[in-house]
Amino acid sequence: MKTPNEQFAMPQCLNSKSKPSLFCPGCGESIILKHLGNVVDSENIQSKTTLVIDIGCTLLSWNYFNFDIIQSHHGRSVPVSVGYKMARGSRVVIALMGDGGAYAIGLQSLLHAAFRNDPILAIVINNTEYSMTGGQMAPTTVPNEVTTTSPLGKNASIFGPAFHGPELVRQIANSKAFIARASVGNPTLMDSIITKAIENQQKNNSFSMVEILSICPTNWKTDAAESFEFLAKLEKIYPVGEVKKTLDKKSEDI
Amino acid sequence: MKNDVTKIVLAGEGGQGIQTIAKILSLALVKADYFVSYIPQFGPEQRGTPSVSFIQFSKSQITYPKFDTADIVMVLRRRAIKTIESYIGSKTDVLFDSSTIARQNFTLNNSRLFAIPATKLAEEEFGAKNQNILALAALAKNFLDYPKNALWEIIAEQLGKKFAKNKSLAGKAKEAFDFAYDFSLESKKFTKAEYDTSDSLIVKKNSQRVAVIVPKYCKGCGICILKCPVNALSFGKTLGVYGTPVPEIDIDKCINCGNCYRFCPDCAIRVVKK
Repeated sequence: MKTPNEQFAMPQCLNSKSKPSLFCPGCGESIILKHLGNVVDSENIQSKTTLVIDIGCTLLSWNYFNFDIIQSHHGRSVPVSVGYKMARGSRVVIALMGDGGAYAIGLQSLLHAAFRNDPILAIVINNTEYSMTGGQMAPTTVPNEVTTTSPLGKNASIFGPAFHGPELVRQIANSKAFIARASVGNPTLMDSIITKAIENQQKNNSFSMVEILSICPTNWKTDAAESFEFLAKLEKIYPVGEVKKTLDKKSEDI
Repeated sequence: MKNDVTKIVLAGEGGQGIQTIAKILSLALVKADYFVSYIPQFGPEQRGTPSVSFIQFSKSQITYPKFDTADIVMVLRRRAIKTIESYIGSKTDVLFDSSTIARQNFTLNNSRLFAIPATKLAEEEFGAKNQNILALAALAKNFLDYPKNALWEIIAEQLGKKFAKNKSLAGKAKEAFDFAYDFSLESKKFTKAEYDTSDSLIVKKNSQRVAVIVPKYCKGCGICILKCPVNALSFGKTLGVYGTPVPEIDIDKCINCGNCYRFCPDCAIRVVKK
């Protein structure tokens, strides 16, 4: 065994110079990025990966990895990735965004990328709120969840129920597209889902989307145990696993 | 008070209470009939960058809130030095926390250095939350000569809500305040920086496995302790990058399941088979 150094607990493709990272203590996103790094290592695609990041906490990963990273505008990491992939088809392109970028401001880009079956991987980190700006209510906020802009809990009769992004995208996405939901509560499953999604891009030249349920101890104002407790509640509302088409025959005929 | 306009920079780790004491100090100076300008350094300070605040006060009006060289700099964590080093000039008085910062961390020789081991005193005597009160009291007494009772009134008013919730906290804070106000600052012999972030790795071995913990990366979130199925992890005494305790591992209890590595957000812990 090698003598242990600071990179001992770190995937090879992570940029050790940017550590400790800018993320808050206990951030779910850094767990996700670490596992993305693990997948990139195990698939051996570091030299041909490009990550496109969005506004929001995802932009704090601008120097997280030792491969190319593009910073795009809010909600525009999907169209930037699509354009990049068109120009350089041999690259593995991953668009990383939060639930605000994907489902609020960037929904049309995401839907059309899925509709056209653009060969990119969209990773959406869902922590049920806008975290960088201080935990405001987002479409994905679950009913009765307290945020800074819904201090009495989200009223589902006014603001709607929890937003199921992957289920929505599945309805119009190409049948070759791989759409799934993972959770930081189960990193092993998350690894295998991300691996599958990257393989879908490389082998089938198809769209893939992975939503990952994440924790935000800073804005949820929770400690480690409470964060994972709340995550377990979220996993009941947002079921983890591959998302299958749920349209009945009648509407498919239309 | 030396110049017409006195410029103060307070710096530390986000969450340490830098902005709280900056606000108290500004209010105290307003009460003493000064014109005061106070700006916190906005940005991602909750997210892993040092927290800095800039205060100016004068008997005449202050025209511009920014400045290049400070008259007094107070710095409480080693990581913050880099951010505020450019504000230290040849005539600047520097007050630092000698229990977290070693003398040699300051590259400038001509600055006048004074220290109070605030973190050590707080951890050992007054409770960890009170280290900013200690620093504030030392600063107000030694550099501004602010009257003791008037300052405490403002602290009690500002932190009143916290004190009402927790009565013992108020008592401890008062004790800390009184102690620090009468504390004579260290100016030649500094306390050893034993509460500084540890740069070395923690490596533990037995015949079957090797555990490595990197205090430099650990932010003290406690997820590894939560996820350990055999309770082999617990908070130890070493401090991590944000001044929070780093987990200790009981290597004989460990079953090498890999959960701590899988869940650690900051790549700070890993156990492997030999």
